[in-house]
Amino acid sequence: MIDPELFLKWAVSISGGSVFLVLVSIYLYTNSKSKRSKTRQMIRRALSLPRDFVFVWVLLGLLFFYIITIEIGSASIFAVGNVTVETLLILYLLRNRTKSE
Amino acid sequence: MADKKDYWSVKSTDVYSALGTREQGLTELEAQQRLKTYGPNELPTHAFSTTQVLLRQFKNPIFAILIAAAVVAGVFAEPKQAIIILSMIALSVGLGFYNEYKAEKIVENLRHNVSIKAMVTRDGKVSQVDSRLLVPGDLVSVYVGDIAPADMRIVKSKDLQTDEATFTGESFPVEKTSDRLELEQPTSQQLTNYLFMGTVVVHGSGQGVVISTGKNTELGAISRSLVRPHPETEFQRGIKKYGTMLVTLTLALAISIFTLNAIIGTNTLTDSLLFSLAVAVGLVPELMPAIVTVSLAQGARRMAKVKVIVKRLVSIEDFGNMNVLCTDKTGTLTEGKIILRDVYSLGGEKDQRVLTYSLLCNSAVVGENFVGNPMDVAIWDYAVKNEERESSKPYMKVDEVPFDYQRRMMSVVVSKDSEYTLIVKGAPESVFAKCTHADVSGRIEPLSAVRKAVDDKFYKLSELGYRILAVASKGVSAKAAYSVEDENELTLLGFLIFTDPPKKDAHEAVTKLNEMGVAVKILTGDNELVAKTICDDLKIPVKKLFVGSDLNQMSWTEVKKVVEETTIFARITPEQKLDIIKALKENGHVVGFIGDGVNDAPALYEADVGISVDTAVDVAKEAADIVLLEKDLLVLADGINEGRKIFGNTIKYILMGTSSNFGNMFSAAAASVFLPFLPMLPMQILFMNLLYDISNMTLPTDNVDEELVKKPARWDIGFVRKYTLFFGPFSSLYDFLTFGIMLFIFGASIPAKAALFQTGWFVESFCTEVFVIFVIRTRRIPFWSSRPGKWLTLLTVSCVAFGTILPFTPLGGFLGFTALPPEYWALLLLMVATYLLLVDAGKVFFYKICKF
Repeated sequence: MIDPELFLKWAVSISGGSVFLVLVSIYLYTNSKSKRSKTRQMIRRALSLPRDFVFVWVLLGLLFFYIITIEIGSASIFAVGNVTVETLLILYLLRNRTKSE
Repeated sequence: MADKKDYWSVKSTDVYSALGTREQGLTELEAQQRLKTYGPNELPTHAFSTTQVLLRQFKNPIFAILIAAAVVAGVFAEPKQAIIILSMIALSVGLGFYNEYKAEKIVENLRHNVSIKAMVTRDGKVSQVDSRLLVPGDLVSVYVGDIAPADMRIVKSKDLQTDEATFTGESFPVEKTSDRLELEQPTSQQLTNYLFMGTVVVHGSGQGVVISTGKNTELGAISRSLVRPHPETEFQRGIKKYGTMLVTLTLALAISIFTLNAIIGTNTLTDSLLFSLAVAVGLVPELMPAIVTVSLAQGARRMAKVKVIVKRLVSIEDFGNMNVLCTDKTGTLTEGKIILRDVYSLGGEKDQRVLTYSLLCNSAVVGENFVGNPMDVAIWDYAVKNEERESSKPYMKVDEVPFDYQRRMMSVVVSKDSEYTLIVKGAPESVFAKCTHADVSGRIEPLSAVRKAVDDKFYKLSELGYRILAVASKGVSAKAAYSVEDENELTLLGFLIFTDPPKKDAHEAVTKLNEMGVAVKILTGDNELVAKTICDDLKIPVKKLFVGSDLNQMSWTEVKKVVEETTIFARITPEQKLDIIKALKENGHVVGFIGDGVNDAPALYEADVGISVDTAVDVAKEAADIVLLEKDLLVLADGINEGRKIFGNTIKYILMGTSSNFGNMFSAAAASVFLPFLPMLPMQILFMNLLYDISNMTLPTDNVDEELVKKPARWDIGFVRKYTLFFGPFSSLYDFLTFGIMLFIFGASIPAKAALFQTGWFVESFCTEVFVIFVIRTRRIPFWSSRPGKWLTLLTVSCVAFGTILPFTPLGGFLGFTALPPEYWALLLLMVATYLLLVDAGKVFFYKICKF
């Protein structure tokens, strides 16, 4: 039986950690881009935002998934979810690295 | 006694009385008394001390945190905790000391303590005396091959020439006489009646009165200026900034944890204090000083294999990160040896007769090797190389009028088939004065008719930095003896052109250094045309050329601008070398300087990386951080590559340690607030930290990706901070996830199940912290396109294996761990895999999107 108060504290902690990471990512992105960017490129960059932030979307998705599965308390859903995410991440990494390396 | 700078203007006969001595030399008693007054004739040197090496290991703020933590743990009766912290200190200090001590020993062996003897006249008797016992007023005789044992005012000389290349950078011999000089503010180069300690006699002989010894000599003054702490290297400045950042972060986190726990936590004050201390220790990369030293020492050993000896370990990383290399010309870009480049007739074609005559009119001692005046030796070397050695055989030497500095020429009379010829070889101006005719391609013409063309040719060659000798001759009748009077009405035949040739691989080396992101700047005492000629010969692109005298007229701001744009600095003094290096450093460059002369020592000391050679004077080697066993820029390129690998591995440790420690300790701090027990016992945190550090011990042997050694890297504390902020939370996220699994899937939410919770988190935290090394160590795909070092892989996997079986061992029980349920391991495997892939995706974002 899950202690609701403890679960809330835990969910807030893990969400806080994720939000912190997202904020750091946004800070790094804007910080480094603003140094090099020209106004003309702003629109193009806005359009590339969803692709640039793939890992952030994965992160937020994982957070949501982890909170749900922990609340359900199912090890098997947890395992299946993880394997799915791992497969997606491997595909993403391979696609990205072969272009740059 | 008068100031030593005044002796040049004193007549040689008055020098004795001015220095309180006489032609018979000092008496033994006077010498002993003066030895007591002035001390031995020795130069101050850096001494190697075991204690200093040991104490140096503690010069890091990390140890202050660790020692404080050990003391607090001891005071609060937690000996186990204190012992673990002390073990960490011992491991780090022991490793650092062992490696640095070994490196110092290698350097110690480089120092040659050779006792030099000097020929001294005392009490009217000449005897050999240990040069350390020389005193001002001693009368010293020098001959070919001798090294001047002290600074002396010459009182007698016979065709005396010295090699002052190490002192002034001048590669050609310098004429020395006893004549008084009438100069206002002479430079060392202008003091032709002085012999400076460390310079070598290459021709003739002389006698001088010692005017200063040991630290009071010109050489000593330079050595004295070097017996002070080395300026901090770029790497040391970076480490210091990093240490400050770490101490601030650690104190802030430890105080916050303690305060929060004390206010809202359920633990006792002592438990809260010990826990916050353990978190503080956990945040500190304890082995960083040792890892850095081991990296540097191992790198130094590898560099020794490519003939690069590292004297000061901390300079290795700057060596790799160096982006400007200031180099002298002589011996680095050039061979540092005089060769005969060409033999020309006045018609401009190669002339066999001029060469044969110069072999005959030659003072070198000819045996298996050639010994004597470097220019005469160069003529023989040229003849051997061009298979012309035998051309002088048909001639027989009849008489010789030796070289002297009044005439600046020598002559010989040779006979062949009963014909006698007088051959003269010497300084062109002197030979021209004795000539009436010139042989232009076989036509004998009055010299006056071709004089302008001859002069033009001579001055043009001189301006290009070549040394020229002229050869002339005339037929003479046989007689018993010949003299200076016979040297007239000569026919000028041609020129001998000498040069210090460019090194064969210098072009390749400079190109390689440029490709590695190292800009090469030439700092030379020679004139601009000589320097430009060498650069043209070597095809080194010259952006801008600057003459030293112009630097004096400039403001510091202008100097800083000029040093950026200039490739060659000609006619510069040692002080200006120093200014150029300082200006480049202030402009933010990591500056290397390569030099081997006495006059290079201050610049060697000031540069981020001072590089000298094994054959350099001791004072230059003493000042240098790195000594090359071969004066070869290609060797340097190998060393730079090694330095970059070491820097790469050190940075890996710092980035990994800081970010994963930060993440783990941050989650520990957060959990301690909402959990009814400590998320991990202080002792467990310390043990995990120790185990993690052990897993990192082989990091110095790891492979470094090619792109990381292509260009110089820089210490960027801003980058370390951003890296920590970005990658730290990844670790925290998975810590929180483990908390969730332990609390809500395995029900470890009550104090009775604290051990299960702590064990689960220990294993997950340790596995993720260690395995992430493989992701973070490269910007590429781990294993696929960048293979880790085999020792790193082996040790990392072994440590993880040990960490996972630890809960099942008696040591695990001792540390408060318990067995974990089988399902946990399956979940752990999935978590670790997702974590590593997510970090790798984060890495793509960090490096690619943010363009770091």
